[in-house]
Amino acid sequence: MNARIAAAARPLAALVLAAAIISLVLIALGASPVAVAADLWQGAFGNWLATTDTLVKATPLVFTGLAIAIAFQGSLWNIGADGQLIIGAMAAGALGTALGGWPHPLAIIAMLTAGAAGGASWGGLAGWLRARREVNEVISTIMLNFVAAQVLSWAVHGPLMEPSHALPQSVVIAPSAQLAFYFEPSRLNLGMTVALLFAVVCHLGLFHSAAGFELRALGRNRRASAFFGIPIRRLTVLAMALSGALAGLGGAVQVSAITHRLFETMSPGWGYEAIAVALVARLNPLAIVPAAIVFGALDNGSQAMQRADAVSPVLVNVIQGMVIMILIAFDAMATTGMRTALFGLAGDARPSADAVAGAGDA
Amino acid sequence: MLEAFLASTIAMATPILLAALGELIVERSGVLNIGIEGAMLAGAFFGLTATWFSGSLALGLLASCAAAVAFNALLAVLVVNLAVNQVVAGTAIDILALGLTGVFYRRFFGLTGSAFTITPMRTIALGPLARIPLIGTALFDQSALVYLAFALVPSIAFVISHTRYGLELRAAGERPEAADALGLGVYRLRWQALMIAGVLSGLAGAFLTLTYTNTFIEGISAGRGYVALSVVIVGRWNAWGVAAASLLFGAAMALQFGLQAVGTAVPYQFFLALPYVLTIVVLAFMGGQADAPSALGSPYLRS
Amino acid sequence: MLEAAAITRRFARTLALDRVDFCARPGEIHALIGENGAGKSTLINIFAGRLKADAGVVSLDGEPLAAGSAHLALKAGIVAVYQSPMLFERLSWEENLALGGFGAGVSRNDLAAAAQCAQPLAARLGFDLPPPGTPVERCSIGERVRLEILRALSFDPRVLILDEPTGVLAPAELGAFLELLRRLRGEGRIVILVTHKLAEAMAVADRVTVLRRGRVAAERLAANTDEAELARLMIGEITVPASTSAAPLAALGDRATPALTVEQVTLDCDGRRALDRLDFTLSMGEIVGLAGVDGNGQRELVELLAGRRAPTSGRVRVRAHGGAITVIPQDRDLDGLILDMPLWENLMLARPLRDRFTRRGWLQRSGAVAFCGELLERFRIRSAGAASTAASLSGGNRQRLAVARALAGAPQVLVAHDVCRGLDLRAMADVHRMLREFAAAGGAVLLISSDLDELLALSTRLLVICRGRVLALPADDCGSERIGLLAERIGLLMSGAAS
Repeated sequence: MNARIAAAARPLAALVLAAAIISLVLIALGASPVAVAADLWQGAFGNWLATTDTLVKATPLVFTGLAIAIAFQGSLWNIGADGQLIIGAMAAGALGTALGGWPHPLAIIAMLTAGAAGGASWGGLAGWLRARREVNEVISTIMLNFVAAQVLSWAVHGPLMEPSHALPQSVVIAPSAQLAFYFEPSRLNLGMTVALLFAVVCHLGLFHSAAGFELRALGRNRRASAFFGIPIRRLTVLAMALSGALAGLGGAVQVSAITHRLFETMSPGWGYEAIAVALVARLNPLAIVPAAIVFGALDNGSQAMQRADAVSPVLVNVIQGMVIMILIAFDAMATTGMRTALFGLAGDARPSADAVAGAGDA
Repeated sequence: MLEAFLASTIAMATPILLAALGELIVERSGVLNIGIEGAMLAGAFFGLTATWFSGSLALGLLASCAAAVAFNALLAVLVVNLAVNQVVAGTAIDILALGLTGVFYRRFFGLTGSAFTITPMRTIALGPLARIPLIGTALFDQSALVYLAFALVPSIAFVISHTRYGLELRAAGERPEAADALGLGVYRLRWQALMIAGVLSGLAGAFLTLTYTNTFIEGISAGRGYVALSVVIVGRWNAWGVAAASLLFGAAMALQFGLQAVGTAVPYQFFLALPYVLTIVVLAFMGGQADAPSALGSPYLRS
Repeated sequence: MLEAAAITRRFARTLALDRVDFCARPGEIHALIGENGAGKSTLINIFAGRLKADAGVVSLDGEPLAAGSAHLALKAGIVAVYQSPMLFERLSWEENLALGGFGAGVSRNDLAAAAQCAQPLAARLGFDLPPPGTPVERCSIGERVRLEILRALSFDPRVLILDEPTGVLAPAELGAFLELLRRLRGEGRIVILVTHKLAEAMAVADRVTVLRRGRVAAERLAANTDEAELARLMIGEITVPASTSAAPLAALGDRATPALTVEQVTLDCDGRRALDRLDFTLSMGEIVGLAGVDGNGQRELVELLAGRRAPTSGRVRVRAHGGAITVIPQDRDLDGLILDMPLWENLMLARPLRDRFTRRGWLQRSGAVAFCGELLERFRIRSAGAASTAASLSGGNRQRLAVARALAGAPQVLVAHDVCRGLDLRAMADVHRMLREFAAAGGAVLLISSDLDELLALSTRLLVICRGRVLALPADDCGSERIGLLAERIGLLMSGAAS
């Protein structure tokens, strides 16, 4: 039991330590850590509007976070959630313009389906490349991110461009395809609810279904999974497709609720941020929601921080990178003992999941 | 026309080659370093910053290497001493570098950073060789970093396969437990590999801001670090293969400018995407991991 | 003189070594014996510098050794050859040797010179070196063992430690190997032989140290003791149920309903013929022992029977519904279990159990957990409950779990590959009992092992596998009175001598 509590507390400790280190960076930049922290908080939760916007900003992180969690549970290193989100957004954004006469619920379902399909194809492609051609999915998904960005750029400058050709953006989607805001002027919409729903579904699937069991087994020990006849290739493609679908859903929700059209940039790096979210949530779908809210708060607050302290919002990237590193370092030290780990002395190392998972063919 | 294309190919291939050579050494020792992109970006930014503040290109090069080495050291602590998941650690380095360079950049140079330019490194023409028609300027009138990169290819090839050090390195990448049992010192070897790769990644980044362009934009590395990873795979983990693959991808990147200048009906995004698509396609046909060092990517903890 | 005083070492909660004293003199072959789990490997890992002792000092000729450094131990002249091969398989044999003592101090990697240095040593071993440039992965197991010993000797060690070296040697090669040890002793070196095989220890050792449960149970001069006393010292007062009584080798007679038929199966893989026209039948109620030295096709046969490989020609037929063959893999930690998962989920790895507890794609968790609890109790597996991880189980209990899991799926045929490797005597007895009960209830067992004692104790019929071919024993050798001769015969067949 002790070990479990410690494991759950580590993400919190990682965030605290990251905050401490960031403070040093801020001081080096000539900014005040206290002021920055205050502005971050103000920007994220200062008033009702800010808080709802934090939730809005957290929504795509829930979707991409789920995408990462599912893939990582199978030791499939999907760094391409950004690209998958973009393709999903494109599919939804393109379809949305044609949904004029549709009843609202059907239009939304169509949007979400298009988003999921788009993302699934992008993710499934990487999965197929891994399963059939042994292509390292880290490289392929990152490459596909760049490709997706170019495809989007081409689309909004070309076929999907709005008729006036004034700006690189697409036509606005039909009103029936748009998710309404509940409590104007806040931007709260159905998207977060959909995200919550999928978090629950993912949790159930991962821990209560046979397929979820096979995926987790694959992620922990590839050799044993092969030995017991778990269909590794099929599982790889399906898991990556599912992961992509979740990211694509996030893209569709973004288009439907917030942007209502396609722009040259649809993601400020959610796909990478989601890695931090997923790790903080320890790859547990239900925990993704609070983790996404934390990072959404940072994203939201960073705008205020930029105005008030002239610190670039890109600082959140520094936070993300640091949190990931501290978290995995803590996990490693917990398994092997801190002194041991730092100085490579003789220790009680048990085979880590990675070691037996055949991570050599990553 | 052809000359320009050739010159461009070699110029575009150079940072990839430098980074890939470093990664070759690292992967031979058994570590998969996804963080090349981050190290390169750090090298690009801090090299330019140092040059801008000090006026000295030499200092800039030094700073590039130092920055990249620092990032690699951080990675080394994580993946060598703590034996964490190498993919996640490398990705974190990339994210961190993106953030740090962005924050420092905007803090010191504002959003547009228009004044953040320097006089770039001049090219060095190798005498009469540079006057050979067609290929002269392309091959023999390039920056010193280019010559260095290509000169390193045979040197690294030799070191890896024909010296004791190379043998020890390969042993560490094949079976770290056995290497440690023989007293070779796997941690030491992997640290050294990462430090050497840091210098090379730093130079690669320096090439981007001190030679190729003369300023910095956020994310200037544009995925070259990941391309370098593919280059090592496609090059079948040997220096000559890496050189050939780097030239291939360099050509793909050079194609962007060539064909854009020609002006075709094909949208420019196609050319921008070409190197990345090419990477995937080439890996699909040559991406087999059969020749990879046996222990590549497996976290190893001395026990 | 190698001396160790009060060596203590813990692993998490287990005390692996408890104030162990040890002393070996030059010109002596010292056998370190004990059953699996007694602490022998831990002790020699400390000598060789791979592990650090929590307390105590090791000294060579009065000089204390720096702890935890294999490098320094090598420098001091202590070399160990381990149970699992420590060669670099992708590198050539010359490169492997060059990493030993032959290439030290030379910055240019001169492989030809290393090979030249190796020649005289190899000649003394009676060993032909492989053709130049051959990667180790293409050498046979026997060649690899010899290469490792060669590399160890290249360091000109004062202390040579050998950890269970004879496991991969065919019985016929044993004699030459023991001769080599005597020669090394003659050169004034210290040879420490770690083994659990008393016969070998007694054949060659001058002194014997017996470890039991991390403590020194006794130290004796070989001349003053015998196998029986050593066995008693090894096991202690704990009585082990007699499972090693000689099994009836008579055929089953009329209960010969075939459960598994292997018909002219040939398997080519990795460019060589792994299995060559295998043809044998398993009947219900039989325990067929397949004797063979590791690396003669057992792994490929197991993969074939598990459905992971298809035969190049021939076929495998299983009688009865579903054609269920259940395999217990050789490497339980890597292939058999997922250490980070709870016990009940490890049970779900087995297809039949997973199917039983899955309804329309959903796992019946509570049912599976309860079933796991029952299984743990029925087979007396010591654990912290169904929800504890497999990593928390000891080696013996992990294997009990693996066997229990296999049996719980109610298979027709059970293939057990090295099922008792590395187990202490009590666990071994338990596993043997489980197998016997399974056979008695009508199941068929294919017991693949290199341990002749185990095979003779359990099998109702014996086959030998060598270089991918299965050889049956002539009928007249199966009488139980001639077990000694039988073992010799099997040994010869296993080593590939004329059948």
